[in-house]
Amino acid sequence: MIEVKNVHKSFGKNEILKGVDLKVEKGDVVVILGPSGSGKTTLLRCINFLEMADQGELLFKGESYHFQHASKKDILNIRKRTAFVFQNYNLFSNKTALENVTEGLIIARKVSKNKAVEIAKECLNKVGLADKYDSYPSQLSGGQQQRVGIARAIAVNPDVILFDEPTSALDPELIGEVLSVMKLLAKEGTTMIVVTHEMSFAEDVASKVVFMDGGVVVEEGTPKEIFCNPKMDRTKQFLRRIIRNYDYSI
Amino acid sequence: MSFNFEFFYQTFFTAFRGLPVTLKLTAFSLLISLPLGFLFAVIRLKERSKVKNLVSVYISFVRGTPIVVQILVIYSLIPSIMASIFKGLDIKMNVFDINPMLYAYIVFSLNTVALLSEVFRSALATVEKGQLEAAQAAGLTTFQGYRRIVIPQAMVAALPNICTVTTNLIKSTSLAFLMTVKDITAVAKVEAAYGYNYIEAYIVIWIIYIIICSLVEILFKLVEKRMKVYKRALVS
Amino acid sequence: MREFDYRYIYRYLPEILPFLGVTFLTVIASVVLGIALGFILAVGKLGKNKIGRFLANGYTTILRCTPSIVLLFVVYYGLPELMMGLFRIDINDIEKGIFVVLTFSLLFAATMSEVMRSAYESVDRGQLEAAVSVGMTPLQAFYRIILPQAFYVALPNFGNSVIALLKDGAVGFTIGFIDVMGKTNLIVSLNYGAHSREIYLGLALVYWIISMVLEYVMKSAEKSLGKGRRILKTN
Repeated sequence: MIEVKNVHKSFGKNEILKGVDLKVEKGDVVVILGPSGSGKTTLLRCINFLEMADQGELLFKGESYHFQHASKKDILNIRKRTAFVFQNYNLFSNKTALENVTEGLIIARKVSKNKAVEIAKECLNKVGLADKYDSYPSQLSGGQQQRVGIARAIAVNPDVILFDEPTSALDPELIGEVLSVMKLLAKEGTTMIVVTHEMSFAEDVASKVVFMDGGVVVEEGTPKEIFCNPKMDRTKQFLRRIIRNYDYSI
Repeated sequence: MSFNFEFFYQTFFTAFRGLPVTLKLTAFSLLISLPLGFLFAVIRLKERSKVKNLVSVYISFVRGTPIVVQILVIYSLIPSIMASIFKGLDIKMNVFDINPMLYAYIVFSLNTVALLSEVFRSALATVEKGQLEAAQAAGLTTFQGYRRIVIPQAMVAALPNICTVTTNLIKSTSLAFLMTVKDITAVAKVEAAYGYNYIEAYIVIWIIYIIICSLVEILFKLVEKRMKVYKRALVS
Repeated sequence: MREFDYRYIYRYLPEILPFLGVTFLTVIASVVLGIALGFILAVGKLGKNKIGRFLANGYTTILRCTPSIVLLFVVYYGLPELMMGLFRIDINDIEKGIFVVLTFSLLFAATMSEVMRSAYESVDRGQLEAAVSVGMTPLQAFYRIILPQAFYVALPNFGNSVIALLKDGAVGFTIGFIDVMGKTNLIVSLNYGAHSREIYLGLALVYWIISMVLEYVMKSAEKSLGKGRRILKTN
């Protein structure tokens, strides 16, 4: 359903993505792993055109776009059918939790206000924030903010949700609440691309794990293949380092 | 339109005769205001007393009234105060013989003290409490902690605002002619009226003010650059 | 020398206070024009065009270094000559207030452009990204998300700038403009300078009260708009 081919992206002389391919089918939960600086966040941002890739092709629902000359209209259309969950939440600080969710519906998708509020409440209930409709981001904990961020993403009923390290800004005791919401979404068949360091999530939920390093995809496969039987040395090295610090408490 | 370039050129040098007065006014007012402004800032941060209230009212007055009005008030008020002082001390001196520069110093110092004390107050507030505590934990006295740790850090935060106060002070001195002080603006006004070459004269002093203020800004930027290392390290 | 007579502090206020209308009018006109020009300058500063940035920054630097009275003189004496020279239009007889408004609009625009630029830059880039990621166009993101937040950040600076403008405007009397300051000066000269200190003191009190009221209004506005500010940092 969504596929990127040969994505290249440089910042100045620094080449971050050196030709990445990624294929995601409907209902897939693709988890991208990799050390910091491997380009996983950049890849995600390129898919949503938050960064402009220098080269590459995006196939999305049977249509093909070139990264370097996608029109403004194409970009807007792709963004309307995708959603993005940010590492640092990026909730609109001048809007309540409810308004954060309705904003994309009312403004970008011209949903009527009543309908939007109805959808937003449903989504906030789903992430367990039924009592926080009217709270401003400043009045919410990090975990609650991120759950609003997820509600904002699912509200627009996107074809795919992109998660950019959604738990890495959170205190350890708040990570669980966000991950359980994400697991719920996965169970419901939501298509997701997730950049994360949470191995438990990858093991339990992913239909495909992609390991990136140095701007390329080193290895990909089912969680079992990657975690139990990695083929590449770089993958093995990375997993050894991570597993040692890995907390199974979740 | 006939722009008189010869006059323009001449006025440039004539107006420069007023430059020492402008610079003297600025420098002297700053010299008085820096320590006094700091003192007032400390008073407002610490004490709960009548002194503090008095200082607060004074600062509010200065911030709430136009400098032109302050000039006119002081210029009309001080002579009578001086006269009664002279009378009391039995000094035989006519108040109208007093150099108008004295009034100018008083007005601009009173004004700048108030503005600087606000600058220092907010600058001191930016220094975290932990800095003083750490200093005390290291065995410094409170006074030493302030002098060696808190104040140097506060100065870094204050510098850009001190720069603004300074350039504003320079600009304000252009009103000193109201007290018959012969600064750049006063000289230009006289020259302008003399030959009806108003526009040339005022463009001349405009350029001079731009040069002076720009130099001051560059100077402050240089100092800021050197003091940058004191800036608070980000805790991540 | 006459004794200080406090009654003169308020004696002429009934004659002076009606001219507050003129003072306020010049301030409001300068604010409106200054915001318009300031917005253009801020766009120039934030834009990608090098020439635009250079011009906008240059304008601000020059005006920041300009005493208001000098600019007032330049406008007052220069503009009529310029109009005469370029268009053969005689504007020597137009209302003096126009020169005052023009001068302070030019000055206020420089201040405003800086206020707007820094407010815009203070809004986290993530806010824009989040807005486009939910499908808004960049323009929608700007006026729905960025602008309201930037507006709040700009409010205290805007308030302070307006108060500064009100005070700076008092120099208008030096070209014979009659606002509260001009009227007061007129009364003092009609009295041949007698009791000038009391009369000026009265005027100072008038300005002081207005400044305090403006400051209060500004603080209240800030409070009522303060909803949703300050994100708790979790890391």
